[in-house]
Amino acid sequence: MANEPEHIDQSAVAGTAPAGPDGGRDGAVPPAVRVRGLWKKYGEQIAVAGIDLTLPAGRFIGLVGPNGAGKTTTLSMVTGLLRPDAGQVEIGGHDVWQDPVAVKSRIGVLPEGLRLFERLSGRELLSYIGRLRGLPGAEVDKRADQLLEVLDLSGAQNKLVVDYSTGMRKKIGLAAALLHNPEILFLDEPFEGVDPVSAQTIRGVLERYTSSGATVVFSSHVMELVESLCDWVAVIAGGRIRSDGPLAEVRGDAPSLQDAFLELVGAGDRAAGHDLDWLGGGSAR
Amino acid sequence: MTTSPSSAAPTRAPGGPAAAAPGTSLTPVFVRLKLSLLRNGLRQSTGRTVAYVASLLLSLLCAAGVLVGLVALRGVEHAGALGVLLVALLTLGWAVMPLFFPGGDETLDPTRLVMLPLRPRPLIFSMLIVSLVGIGPVFTLALAVGSVIMLAHGAAAAVTGVLAVVLVILVCVALARAVATANVRLLTSRRGRDLAVLSGLFIALGGQAVNLASQKLFGAGAAGLSALEPASDVVRWIPPASAVDAVRAASEGAYGRAVLGLALAAVALFLLLWWWRRTLTTVMTSPDSSTLQAVEKDSGRKQRAAGGGLQRLLPESRTGTVMLRMLRYAWRDPKTKMGWAMAFGVGLLIPVVSVVQGNGSIYTAFSASALLGMQMYNQFGQDTSAFWMVASTISTPRDAYLELRGRALGLALAAVPFVTVVVIGAAALLGPWSAFWDVYGLSLALLGSLVATGALASAVFPYSIPSEGNKNIAPGQGAIAWFSLLGGMLVSAVFAAPMAGLTIWLHVAGLHGLLWLLVPVGAAYGIGVAFLGMRMAAPRVVARLPEILAAVSKG
Repeated sequence: MANEPEHIDQSAVAGTAPAGPDGGRDGAVPPAVRVRGLWKKYGEQIAVAGIDLTLPAGRFIGLVGPNGAGKTTTLSMVTGLLRPDAGQVEIGGHDVWQDPVAVKSRIGVLPEGLRLFERLSGRELLSYIGRLRGLPGAEVDKRADQLLEVLDLSGAQNKLVVDYSTGMRKKIGLAAALLHNPEILFLDEPFEGVDPVSAQTIRGVLERYTSSGATVVFSSHVMELVESLCDWVAVIAGGRIRSDGPLAEVRGDAPSLQDAFLELVGAGDRAAGHDLDWLGGGSAR
Repeated sequence: MTTSPSSAAPTRAPGGPAAAAPGTSLTPVFVRLKLSLLRNGLRQSTGRTVAYVASLLLSLLCAAGVLVGLVALRGVEHAGALGVLLVALLTLGWAVMPLFFPGGDETLDPTRLVMLPLRPRPLIFSMLIVSLVGIGPVFTLALAVGSVIMLAHGAAAAVTGVLAVVLVILVCVALARAVATANVRLLTSRRGRDLAVLSGLFIALGGQAVNLASQKLFGAGAAGLSALEPASDVVRWIPPASAVDAVRAASEGAYGRAVLGLALAAVALFLLLWWWRRTLTTVMTSPDSSTLQAVEKDSGRKQRAAGGGLQRLLPESRTGTVMLRMLRYAWRDPKTKMGWAMAFGVGLLIPVVSVVQGNGSIYTAFSASALLGMQMYNQFGQDTSAFWMVASTISTPRDAYLELRGRALGLALAAVPFVTVVVIGAAALLGPWSAFWDVYGLSLALLGSLVATGALASAVFPYSIPSEGNKNIAPGQGAIAWFSLLGGMLVSAVFAAPMAGLTIWLHVAGLHGLLWLLVPVGAAYGIGVAFLGMRMAAPRVVARLPEILAAVSKG
């Protein structure tokens, strides 16, 4: 799980991004996401403090950061679900707020902390969102069948989403996000609270999706997962980007992404357990 | 419980909790626990404290009123029937209360005590005693004592009465506890929570039923208490009402019947305690609902070819898709179901009450279109934060217009037939038929106006509807909700005013032959206003998508 260089090389090769470490920044293909000067304040609290970020197309991109770093706020603003106080977001060269028609048909979103229409069954939910997106009914049903099958939800397709487990919810959310075959997929904590079997299923679907040239941007605070899945990483902490680039570049000389990350967010030298010298062993009360 | 670990034993005083009988030590602990939970619950907000104190005072006033009222009826003919039925009604209340207010009493949930080494018998004894603390038992006491004073004549009847009061209270409390324990799986599951959300509806409709029944009973020219006799002839054999009937029997010298009535109640109490103990043991020695939830299969629906008949009837476009989702939610989502049921129920109730009271006017039928039309308000709040799925498919004012139109058509599918039936019913039962054209035409125009203002209010004043509990507005958004509803009603009245003007003009000008025109004109006017309102609302929805999402995600 920790370090799989072979796998990373494979997905990097499989992607259709133009050659070069900063993939797409100067190529003909516009970057998947370009963010300039993004700000968001909630009252006195600054959630996102001026983010500039360019994410290349065709990559498996991880947005990593501790809890409260601004990952969800950033992804919400990038996908048009939250209005920024300032800044510009372009997806595939289209401005999110000026050109929503071009943007919304190109992206798929799985937000964190927002509900689905839970009183529909899994199949009804896919049927609903597919038709809402203007796909023909027969095509929606065909795609829904295949997605439910691949995501191992066929047995629960007629069960209400409200009775789904966390893993099943993430999977049906992923199916809903993939149904219209978007170019770029934004997933907020897709593996949070998900059991290992479901996580492996989600992973398989995402790897298949990126290998065809599509882009995945997902947020997580599990470094091992990001290290094994992603070929491009952006580290966010305190509402700012601390580092971004190809995985190897961000990791640098550190033994793992975890170590590099702790150093970047300035948490590496925190003395843990110093005051808990009474804890352990079970002999003393 | 009786033996303790050796390390802790020396610190305990002899005769302390470890040595005492578990039953005697457990009860004060439970009473303190209940009072602490109550105190801590009230400490959370002053609003809650005020509400609690107000309901406490109201209940005590009601209890005092019931007591005084029943005592005043002492010696009245058929009083026995009244006492029996009141106690039976109260018992029914105790039986259903835990199903509708599962969160009302934290000590009620025995699964919270499952990790403690407690035996069922002392546990049941203590829980029964704890259940006697509260507003409900005080009210029950007042009603039981009142009934006994109303019915008891003579020493034997007085003694029977004392026993009857004790039996009534214990049976009621044991019944509530046993029902709660037997249904603890249901109460902690999703279906149980759904049921609790609908409780307000049952209370509102039940209250109206009692209101109508009492009007029938005590209204002018009604039969009075003797109307209760047929029902009470059956109910007097059902415990614990049988104990109240025993008091009447003892007063009349029928001691055999008195003993039988008391015995029935005592047997019922014994059986309830036995049932409670059995279910309690089962519940506390088997996996709880959080473990079972993972394999819960209760919402598995039968696979239907191509999504069922409704889907085939509706168009495949966005319009049909939106309508289908809306209608499914009206049936499956407890909050949405409650909104619809309230609209249908109250919309129907106002004319029905007029009919029953016999002094109503056909114009009460406006309530149907007014209440159904208000369902168009806060459309996106009804989606909860799942509105993001809708928002992610809206890019142009055209998309937003189609979304609003789908919802309005879904509403019209239910509202137009309902309004038609209510207006026809009101014309037939209340009359006169000559006013039918006025009322129907104006009703349709009002419905259209409410759809128009509802669409605008949905765009401009969205607010969250919390999905749990009885609240329909998230904290801090009350002002928005009321402003949008009140403002919307006023604007709708203004929108519908030209139709009212036309109606009045036709009457004043004496053109009674043309009054039928009001229906097609009203329908066309309503449709026109509704579509105009949605056209105006659509660009506002597109421009405010993130703001609407933020506003409806607070619940």
